[in-house]
Amino acid sequence: MISCTEFIMAYSELFAFIDERYGREELVRFWEELADEFLFNLRDLVAEKGLAGMSEYWSHTLSEEGADCRMTLTDDEFSIEMNHCPSTAILRRNKHLTPFPDYCEHCKVLYRRVIEPYGFRCEVTVSDPVMGRCVVRVTKG
Amino acid sequence: MPNVHKDFHGCFNFGLKFLLDNYGEAEMEEYLRRVARNAYAPLIESLRMRGLPALQDHWQHIMLLEEADFDLRFTNDDTLVLQVKQCPAIAHMRARGYKVCSRFCEATRIVNDEICRQAGYQSEVEYDRENARCTQRFRKEAAR
Repeated sequence: MISCTEFIMAYSELFAFIDERYGREELVRFWEELADEFLFNLRDLVAEKGLAGMSEYWSHTLSEEGADCRMTLTDDEFSIEMNHCPSTAILRRNKHLTPFPDYCEHCKVLYRRVIEPYGFRCEVTVSDPVMGRCVVRVTKG
Repeated sequence: MPNVHKDFHGCFNFGLKFLLDNYGEAEMEEYLRRVARNAYAPLIESLRMRGLPALQDHWQHIMLLEEADFDLRFTNDDTLVLQVKQCPAIAHMRARGYKVCSRFCEATRIVNDEICRQAGYQSEVEYDRENARCTQRFRKEAAR
């Protein structure tokens, strides 16, 4: 068993494997299928509770992952200001591994695909992919 | 203390299913062997240097983190045996309603095999996916 604490390395390797052997279009297709078929817990919360559902989802997952971030929820907007992404921290810490260079791209594909069909606009702005700094901003469309 | 986000098991399971459905079993295996060589390079090195106690420490650490029901011991013939009485990954995925990939347990066999081969050891896994149990054995590769 690959432990869930070791998963991020396997995830990065999976992106690299698909990208190298099958190309970027296939990797994006993988991310889209992951969004469509696996992220139903986020989708259900967005469908039921909108912005508050996003806050509920990420409060739980980012807490378990030990993220250093600030979440803000208003009537019109939900945002995450990520100071240190826990996933990129794992990739940085494990210096023996060459991380997939576009690792952060998957967040843009996954979350936009889940959230935007419900009438929201989702922007993911990565300011420092190595240190894991980004902003996820969701606004009412 | 690493953070434990068990839903990553579901995501890993989805990745295996994607590889299997789209590119076939050989490609899934190729990916897993790559993970073993790259992600577990420090464990391979430690196994070369320290022998089976390195694997014993690894599994003890992982199984405790995952709060697994397990038994880990050496037998009289210098075989390290890990008995997983309830796989925490399968238990989590079932609790969340995820469909467990038909080859999920093969990932354990393949990753173990590659780690051990790289370090001059051998491994075998008997698994019972339905009941979320397995027994893994590790020993020094016989001299040729």
